[in-house]
Amino acid sequence: MQGSVRYNLGFAAAVCFVCAIVVSTSAVSLADRQDRNATLDKQKNVLVAAGIAAADESLGAEEVARRFEPMTQVIIEVESGDAADGIDPATFDQRAASIDVAQSRPAPDNTARIMRLPHYALVYEIRDAADGLDMVVLPVEGLGLWGTLYGFVALEGDLRTIRGLTFYEHKETPGLGGEVDNPRWKALWTGRLAFDDDLTPVIAVVKGPAGSVDDAPHAVDGLSGATITSRGVTNLLRFWLGPDGFGPYLTRLRAEGGAA
Amino acid sequence: MSTSREALIDPLFNNNPIALQVLGICSALAVTTKMDTALVMSAAVIFVLLFSNLFISMLRNQIPTSIRIIVQLVIIASLVIVVDQVLKAYLFEISKQLSVFVGLIITNCIIMGRAEAYAMQNPPGMSMIDGLGNGLGYGVILAGTAVIRELFGSGSLFSVQLLPLVSEGGWYTPNGLMVLSPGAFFIIGFFIWAIRTWKPEQVEQD
Amino acid sequence: MRFLRTLLDSQAHLFEKGGRLERLYPLWEAQDTILYTPGEVTRAAPHVRDALDMKRLMMVVVVALSGCIYMALYNTGYQVHLAIAGGAAPLDVWQTDAMRSMGLPFAPENLWACLVHGALYFVPVLAVTFAVGGFWEVLFASVRGHEVNEGFLVTGMLLPLTLPATIPLWQVALGVTFGVVIGKEIFGGTGMNVLNPALTARAFLFFAYPAQMSGDAIWIAAGTSPDGVSGATILAVASESGLAGVTGGLDPWQAFIGLMPGSMGETSALACLAGAFVLVATGIGSWRIMASVLVGTLGTALLLNTVGSVTNPYFEVTPLWHFLLGGWAFGTVYMATDPVSGPSTPTGHYFYGGLIGALVVLIRVVNPAYPEGMMLAILFMNLFAPLIDYLVVQANVRRRRARYAG
Repeated sequence: MQGSVRYNLGFAAAVCFVCAIVVSTSAVSLADRQDRNATLDKQKNVLVAAGIAAADESLGAEEVARRFEPMTQVIIEVESGDAADGIDPATFDQRAASIDVAQSRPAPDNTARIMRLPHYALVYEIRDAADGLDMVVLPVEGLGLWGTLYGFVALEGDLRTIRGLTFYEHKETPGLGGEVDNPRWKALWTGRLAFDDDLTPVIAVVKGPAGSVDDAPHAVDGLSGATITSRGVTNLLRFWLGPDGFGPYLTRLRAEGGAA
Repeated sequence: MSTSREALIDPLFNNNPIALQVLGICSALAVTTKMDTALVMSAAVIFVLLFSNLFISMLRNQIPTSIRIIVQLVIIASLVIVVDQVLKAYLFEISKQLSVFVGLIITNCIIMGRAEAYAMQNPPGMSMIDGLGNGLGYGVILAGTAVIRELFGSGSLFSVQLLPLVSEGGWYTPNGLMVLSPGAFFIIGFFIWAIRTWKPEQVEQD
Repeated sequence: MRFLRTLLDSQAHLFEKGGRLERLYPLWEAQDTILYTPGEVTRAAPHVRDALDMKRLMMVVVVALSGCIYMALYNTGYQVHLAIAGGAAPLDVWQTDAMRSMGLPFAPENLWACLVHGALYFVPVLAVTFAVGGFWEVLFASVRGHEVNEGFLVTGMLLPLTLPATIPLWQVALGVTFGVVIGKEIFGGTGMNVLNPALTARAFLFFAYPAQMSGDAIWIAAGTSPDGVSGATILAVASESGLAGVTGGLDPWQAFIGLMPGSMGETSALACLAGAFVLVATGIGSWRIMASVLVGTLGTALLLNTVGSVTNPYFEVTPLWHFLLGGWAFGTVYMATDPVSGPSTPTGHYFYGGLIGALVVLIRVVNPAYPEGMMLAILFMNLFAPLIDYLVVQANVRRRRARYAG
């Protein structure tokens, strides 16, 4: 009868059973769609960095797929820079890997305040008809003022010139550091040289205006009133383009004659 | 016994869950920087309220008193997970912006409050109307807050730029406070002030 | 003078109960009592006999502020002229045109030119503050039927002194609106406010328009210097490069006098010290609060000096520099001592001041985002003032009970 232990247990079991069925049905039946969304989202961010899509552009699934067509997804081993086989780029989650002890190692001391480095990373390459490198898009992250900035940097085929930079996730102050989202600021990056003649990453966000690409090939305007965010962007780019980041990979590409 | 009209209309201004009962404030601060997130969040809460009230009311005579809270929670949690899954599948952009706050509907006091205070005593039809009314009351405040926050904080509504920003060559300097959560606190405070000026009976006696 | 009195009296009936302009009584009352001593006296038995009514009290504060106002005029102009002498381009604003049309040189050594140039920036901000703030004050007084309160005059003097010279006037108007309405009127007007209205206004602007309230491009009303001389406040320099950065560009005397970039009226510790003497001598400002802010800052800064930090050079900044830089002196003398938003028990003053002093150093040094912490420290402690009072009173009650219980 109602109120008895047996009734209570039975009632609870029945409710749990029904709810479990509802929840698992919805989760399973929608899983495909959700995965597709996550992939599209990531691909769009890559396209934005590469300058093939605008951040506020609303793109359908087909359009993203079409524009993403020339991109080759490559999994590389970060430390050696070599391509790694046996990992499916479609399911590889680099952000999850960087916090998984089994898939990452402690990062060497760095100014970008990166704690762990993943063993593997997912990068994107565009090659022309003659298999010459046209562009490579690299994932970057690093500490700003309030939290980690996540983004992509795209390099031209010469592996020195920046094609574009975008941050798809950050917690910076709106109006100050949050201006890393500003399309006008992002446009300043195109054409700047990330490396000096010795291939050391020297790109920097300076204080105040930097001037045109010809005047200041290695510098970008500082974000007004956001010293720490500006410094964070400098540090994270120098880290990821340097020997502890994607340096080995870039060296390999250069050796392969990718620098057309 | 209240009429269905009262159950629907009362929570809008006379007994608003946010403005009078001060429930559900956490999500009201978090998701109101933009109109679309505020509206989707309101829709999600309305959906959960409607059906949690319906199912709990249908079972109200069967639910054992000793475990009623946990039974209510299981029903609410299941509904919230379903909503979250659907949003992730069909409104991915917005669900990304809402992040954990969809999941946190489970802990939204409005829903538990209506289940315990209303659905446990009233028939399913009335309970659904009550759920709809309270959900709308929540939505009205969210939408009102979001209009002000998005317009003055980003110069846009539904992500359509209405006030051209200085940083993009226009004339409008966005108000950064509106984008921060304390901005929503002030706006909701103003709403409460306005409602109580209009309906002085809501002012608490000292 | 007799004529003025007669004129006022003859118009009085218009504003009194039943008069045609009854609603505007607060406005009429305000100008009447500014011109003449109020006619009413306290009648009921227990009352304090004191020559100081609110108006006289506020006048003393304005006198105490005169040094800061002078520096706001002089230093604002001086910094612009210094930057221009260093090669920066004058801003393309009406102030520059006005200076040119008056034939005044952009010369840092020309006292008169500096004063006029500073006034061209300071006076409009002051005027907007009074006009907009006064509007809200009168509006609320009329609707709620209380008198216009002179507390506003002080708020109106304090706020412009804490703003940078380049602040857009519409932002000043919004800020003072927020400060007066949210900071004060919502709680029932002067005397009822929890927070200091001037600081509430400043905090609103700080968070709403960070680009116009922080950074290194706003403190000097001139273009950036070609030689890379930064217009950053010295506190921002301290947060970047520590003690070496501070002493590299500035000697303590210069900082004490206030010849450095910063909010218009906050840079001069000397002017604030003079103001402190006036406030303490007249008994308006609490010396307990001022002294304990000093002790709190001294202790915390020394502690951080001892602890040290490899990554944060701000740790090494000595207490002396904490006193001289930013809004410390101004906040200690004029803001922390606000009798309404601070505690009312003398013992409470010590705790309140000491905690402000400690917090200011912590915010400045430990928080990477805010090189200056005076505003936030005072606002934060404003919130705790009633609690401090409560604890002090309770402690006293307990002590007396213990004494008589046995």
